Amino acid sequence: MKKRIIAVLIMLVSLVLSIQAEVSGEEVIWNVYERETPDDLKGNLTMTLENSRGDQRVRKITQYTKNTKNDEKEIMFFNSPADVKDTSFMNWSFTQEGKEDSQWIYLPALKKVKRISSSGRSDYFMGSDFTYDDLGDRHPTEDTHLILRSEDLKGEKCFVVESIPREEDYMYSRTITWVSEDKWIGLKKEFYDEDGELLKILEIQDIHEFEGFWIIRSSRMQNIQKNHKTNMELSNIEINTGLQDRVFTERIMMRGL
Amino acid sequence: MEKVLSKILKRPVLTLILILGITGVFFFAMKENTRMETDLDKYMPESHPSFIYSNQAEEWFNIKDGIIIAVENKSGIYNSETLAKIKSLTKELGAMEEVDKSDVTSLYTADNITGSEWGLEVEPFFTKVPEGESKLEALRSAVKENDMVYKRLISEDETVALIIANIADDVFSEAFYQDIQDLAASYGGEETIYVAGRPIVEGTMATLGPADMAKMVPVVIIVIILVLYLLMNSVKATLMTLAVVLFSVLWTFGLMAVAGIPIYAVSTMIPVMLIAIGVADGIHLINHLRQYLVRYPDADSDSAIDDMTKHMWKPVVMTSLTTAIGFVSLLTSQVYPIKYFGLFTAFGVMMAMLFSLILLPAGLKVMGLPKWKRDRKKVIEKTGFSIHYSAFILKHKLAALLITAAIIFLSLWGMTNVWIDTSFLSQFEKDSGIVQADRFINDNFGGTSTLNVILDAEEPDAFKNPEVLKAIVELQDDLEISLDKVGNSFSIADYLNRMNMVMHADDPAYDRIPETNEMVAQYLLLYEMSGDPENIWEVVDYYYQKANLTFQLKDDSSQTISTAIALIEEHTSGLRELGISVKYAGSGYKALVFSQLILEGQILSILISLLIVIALLALMFRNLLLGFIAALPIVITAIISFGIMGILNIPLSTTTALLSSIAIGIGIDYAVHFIEMYRNNALGEDTKIRVLENTMQHSGKAILYNALVVIAGFLVLTFSLFPPNRALGALVSLNMFTSFIGTISIMAIFLYQSNIFFKKK
Repeated sequence: MKKRIIAVLIMLVSLVLSIQAEVSGEEVIWNVYERETPDDLKGNLTMTLENSRGDQRVRKITQYTKNTKNDEKEIMFFNSPADVKDTSFMNWSFTQEGKEDSQWIYLPALKKVKRISSSGRSDYFMGSDFTYDDLGDRHPTEDTHLILRSEDLKGEKCFVVESIPREEDYMYSRTITWVSEDKWIGLKKEFYDEDGELLKILEIQDIHEFEGFWIIRSSRMQNIQKNHKTNMELSNIEINTGLQDRVFTERIMMRGL
Repeated sequence: MEKVLSKILKRPVLTLILILGITGVFFFAMKENTRMETDLDKYMPESHPSFIYSNQAEEWFNIKDGIIIAVENKSGIYNSETLAKIKSLTKELGAMEEVDKSDVTSLYTADNITGSEWGLEVEPFFTKVPEGESKLEALRSAVKENDMVYKRLISEDETVALIIANIADDVFSEAFYQDIQDLAASYGGEETIYVAGRPIVEGTMATLGPADMAKMVPVVIIVIILVLYLLMNSVKATLMTLAVVLFSVLWTFGLMAVAGIPIYAVSTMIPVMLIAIGVADGIHLINHLRQYLVRYPDADSDSAIDDMTKHMWKPVVMTSLTTAIGFVSLLTSQVYPIKYFGLFTAFGVMMAMLFSLILLPAGLKVMGLPKWKRDRKKVIEKTGFSIHYSAFILKHKLAALLITAAIIFLSLWGMTNVWIDTSFLSQFEKDSGIVQADRFINDNFGGTSTLNVILDAEEPDAFKNPEVLKAIVELQDDLEISLDKVGNSFSIADYLNRMNMVMHADDPAYDRIPETNEMVAQYLLLYEMSGDPENIWEVVDYYYQKANLTFQLKDDSSQTISTAIALIEEHTSGLRELGISVKYAGSGYKALVFSQLILEGQILSILISLLIVIALLALMFRNLLLGFIAALPIVITAIISFGIMGILNIPLSTTTALLSSIAIGIGIDYAVHFIEMYRNNALGEDTKIRVLENTMQHSGKAILYNALVVIAGFLVLTFSLFPPNRALGALVSLNMFTSFIGTISIMAIFLYQSNIFFKKK
């Protein structure tokens, strides 16, 4: 009896070990990249920017996102502050490698839609501490990934994965991501600058399950070097409402939804 | 007092050992605890509203002083090698411990705001060093089209590029300066590298001045020893006179170390003051001793020394007390280093008094009297001069009065030309590397010095209001056009002008402030979305309620800053109508306020100490008129000192202003010794003219010796490599000279004419 129990235990342990051994850094990140996400999402985004002196600025935005196999389209309308109300922003990013993202902005005072810099993946998103690249899904093949260790983060078992970009002049020299082992979602990420110094820390503060999808409701990005923080809160979330492609056009940017 | 002294002097060896012991303790404390204060911010009165505000504003907008490194390539900077140097120099500076990476600005880090067929782009000019003709040409034209960079970071003729590293106030050290110099030197070659900027100038000042002083002071002391020996004709007397000065300096700095007070730049003036003032007591004492021995050639050492202390303790105490009180009056200053300077110099003067009365006689008792020739005849022959001189000044008293009046009149006119200068740069030699680097950069760019104008609005978002922005542009334009010394300016308005233009396809007609509030707000949002928004927080705050205007000035002189401020003030009423108040910030401004505080304090304390001294002298001699007569040399010396500064174009700075304290310290000494001797002589049966002759013979001679010794010593400083120390040497010598002449001419005449001390007979 005892022997059988031990045998089973050995089998179980080796099974677990073999699973552990099989999962590589690459796979963890692929799993995160390929996690099921809703086709579309609508919500109110509150972005709070805070500088080193504790001054705060709040921006309220209505956000619409639509994912397809080949692209992700997003349109945002500013509700406040009043002087930028109805300013809208649209982003198309493509999964196909090499295909550049496109971004537009509509300034009601100028009554014109303008394309903005497409090379700016390392630009900061609306004065926040997020770059466009931090917000989007970076393609797993752009970095090499290595599991450093496994550890608990706020009660969730996480893989700690180090990713080093293949591109030499990338804005980060490496990132370290804490990936929830059962949800395949990054819960924390550290960004290191070109000189290898810690630059920013992203912490996911609240994730919530909507109709089987894990959605980040609250996150905070902190720039350690500049002591600047950005909080993003998403509320009134609606998913899979069947947003049409024609929502993501310059006409809608100008007219509103 | 006499009893106490004679008791102490009965045990000269014990006294000497005790003084040496305490000196040893102070010396040890000095070695252990002495600390130089080089952070100029520590000198400023932190509670002064201007400083509080400026420090706040510096924090709001990250205003720091910049080290400016210019890279010059005579054949143009647009080649891969020079650009690579600019890039790696930028990176190396950012990697230095003392420099924040984000505080380094150069062509490599600058944002290029451009318009394209699409809209707005904010990008670096280059990340990888461009290679090949076409890429270099593209960079060249990109720079030329962007006036936020062209002529600011790249010179108009495209041969010079600037790299600016802003550093915090307290990080500058000699080692850091050396590191910067080494770094710059390692980038030489095809390019010439210049290093300038306020931290460099301030840092060099803070180290060069005291270092030069440390080299010169031993020479000064040697010269003083030589002259003292020539005049006193005795090694022992010279040694003891010098010991009085050196011990008082040691005790003063020892006490500072014990009290934990650091040495400030002005503290280096303390030994200067103590040397100039401290030798006086010794000279008068020794002079009295010598005269006594001439009169009583057979006197033994104890009775001679006792007679010296008996007759001289009073003038020594009087001169020291009045001098010390003159320095204590500096406590009214708002500036702590000046307060300390006054307090500790006063302490030093009191110690010099103590040593003159105890150490000097005790030393002579132990070593024995100097071996002078006690030949009466020779001395009597020499007295002939004082008789002739006394007769001469009495005969020509009207002429003396007229000449004095003329000199004072001329000096008063000269005083009107005295100008205050807080410039650090003007204190260096014209051909020194630091001045040349500064001139080179000023010739090619807007200016190495800055003035920050802080606009503070009542409401948030005020700096999105086109009316306000237009007023700012007007202010900037007015200063740039009207004032030659204003090379450049920079503000939130420059960002908006540029964005407005690039959003209208680079049409220069739109190089102006956008028309509506919303337009401004949306451009700013666009800017934040397009680039690294960090840079904009150096010109405006998070709530668009405060703005920072930076003016670049061609020099750091007080006149330049004051003229700029005067013109800015003309714009304030218009801004106030828009709900905006105007204040100033930055180290150039702080230095201006600081020096005004010092000068105001200095003038106040001169007046206060003058009044105290007159009152004190009147009390000591029990005669008000005598108080005024005794104050004559002080007043004359001070007036001439300032007058000469005005005539010779020597600016009033913190150092030269402090020198007026010397006028008081020395002027009193001369006057008191002279008057006291005159009074003593008057008590005898001599006639008035005999009394004057005797006083001239005794006191006049001692005063002459005193003046000779200090003048000879301080003239050494005029060979200093550091111009402010040269001015110091010349002015101290001048003050000694005028005090001397004033005492033995105009004051002597007044004293004689006043008939004081003779009325009662």
